[in-house]
Amino acid sequence: MAWVTWQQHRAQLVVGLGLLVALALAAFGTHLTISEAYQRDGLPDCLPPSTRPGCDLIVAHFQGEFGSWASAVRGLAVLPALAGLFVGAPLLARELEHGTYRFAWTQAITRRRWLISKTALLASATVVAAGLVSALVMWWREPFDTLQGRMAPSAFDVEGLVVPAYAVFALTVGVLAGLLLRRTVAAMTATLIVFATTRLIVLTFLRPTFMAPRHRTVLATETGLRVGDWVLSNTLVDAGGRQISAAREDLAILHAQQANIDPHTYLVMLGWKRIISYQPAGRFWTFQIFEAGLFVALSTAVMVLTVWLVRRTPT
Amino acid sequence: MTPALDARALGKRFRRAWGLRDCTLTIPQGAIVGLAGPNAAGKSTLLALAAGLLAPTEGSIAVLGCDPLREPSVLADVGFVPQGAPLYRSFTVGQAIEFARRTNPRWDAMIVASVLGRLGARTKVGALSAAERTQLALALVLGKRPRLLLLDEPFGGLDPFARREFLQLLMDGVAETSATVVIASHVMAEIERVCDDIVLLAGGSVRLEGRVESLLESHRILMGPRRPIGTIRGVREIVRERHSDRQLTLLVLSDGPIVDPSWTVERVGLEELLLAYLAPPERLQPPKPPERLPLQWHG
Repeated sequence: MAWVTWQQHRAQLVVGLGLLVALALAAFGTHLTISEAYQRDGLPDCLPPSTRPGCDLIVAHFQGEFGSWASAVRGLAVLPALAGLFVGAPLLARELEHGTYRFAWTQAITRRRWLISKTALLASATVVAAGLVSALVMWWREPFDTLQGRMAPSAFDVEGLVVPAYAVFALTVGVLAGLLLRRTVAAMTATLIVFATTRLIVLTFLRPTFMAPRHRTVLATETGLRVGDWVLSNTLVDAGGRQISAAREDLAILHAQQANIDPHTYLVMLGWKRIISYQPAGRFWTFQIFEAGLFVALSTAVMVLTVWLVRRTPT
Repeated sequence: MTPALDARALGKRFRRAWGLRDCTLTIPQGAIVGLAGPNAAGKSTLLALAAGLLAPTEGSIAVLGCDPLREPSVLADVGFVPQGAPLYRSFTVGQAIEFARRTNPRWDAMIVASVLGRLGARTKVGALSAAERTQLALALVLGKRPRLLLLDEPFGGLDPFARREFLQLLMDGVAETSATVVIASHVMAEIERVCDDIVLLAGGSVRLEGRVESLLESHRILMGPRRPIGTIRGVREIVRERHSDRQLTLLVLSDGPIVDPSWTVERVGLEELLLAYLAPPERLQPPKPPERLPLQWHG
């Protein structure tokens, strides 16, 4: 089956390799500029717990200069979906669309074995490719990770173990969509929708609860931001612990201004506090393992369903 | 000996309608069977069920004694040429052969080479003509040395010359592998040329089956002046009757010599015979007399 898979998916492999090379070239090119600026601006001396004066300016300047590059890298979160769109979705849809399944599935090799070997081989290739992308991004983002941490989705989603896990999930969703919809374009569309929705649901509702978030109470006037944490919520409460609405906060500031008091001092005088709910930076790998495990489990479930269904297809 | 194909009350329902219904059919090993019938008669459905590509809705099918869906290992012994011979168009002929070789435990390179003849191994499958693609598909299934060969409309898109050539390759291959063959086709002439047995499917069920020879032997065409038909000696059943103003033409199943001199007796061709069995019953009746006639009788 390795030969068969190789013959049928050579083009995708070549395109994938081309993409990897292009990505690597872009990464090497830009990383040089970044690391130069990083050293030149003396950022290593500004890393916490350093309290060197002027550091906030230096860091802000660095982030302002390269922030757009970092957000471009965040866009690489779409890469795993490509495995689903261009490898997974056509795998069965193309066979069913062109009728070639009638040739492929009437050979001595059973269609289950055919499907399992093909998917397993393609999934392995996908894991390797996605792993390389992830490693490349981690290397490239290193200066940013030291400054801002990597617990926030902008870094978390494009680094570590989750990238290969997302890619394999997209791949298996694509295969199932191809089996159910039997049209390549329809299967690609469905794959994109299912993949994006699942990622969004996990990111919004599940990831914040992988472990109980920690809470920190600070003075109302502090931002409460600490490098590397993933802040889930940031709420202002009064002395009794009741949440303060934005309108009430605006009103309080207005009062302070009318009374000619510094608003910051006024809020502290009122006894208001800020409660930060966050996932600490140190949980990065634990969360990576949880989320990657979740997506691998989902992929396995999708694959089991596909293998079960392929025996009954086409009906 | 286990039959090559054994269908029992086999039925397959698609979303809207039955593709095949209540089909009971036994094909012994070594037979060469023509599966005839109009489009949508259930020929392709029956073959797809036999090749394990479809699951029966009711009844059962056994191929060489095995359920092709539950025991797919039997597919190593079954060669299936689907309608239109769908092969990977991006493959070359050589790659297509390699594909089949690698997905089957038994492989006979000699027979593949002899069927392919002058077809170049480097030609892309997508660039082949319909006849060449069918030829390649035949080579691929014969390479498995199948015990049962299923061909779905192999003559589609082939000109009469290519049909002959294909039949020759097929019969050589069959002689070599001594496979049981089922050819689904609506090209009767080709079926008549090679098949010993015939199965006529219509509307999803078996309309007629038997040896070609004995079917042709037992049916006769009678022609004579128009008259009420009584019993005719030597006629067991009238399959179809057709009237013209003066002439009466009958297709009959005979059970003895027809000696009545008022009938001209002729042999029937396979195509005519099958068409007679295909025609829906109401079209067998003579045209109805004008409506006022019964009124006159009562009047």
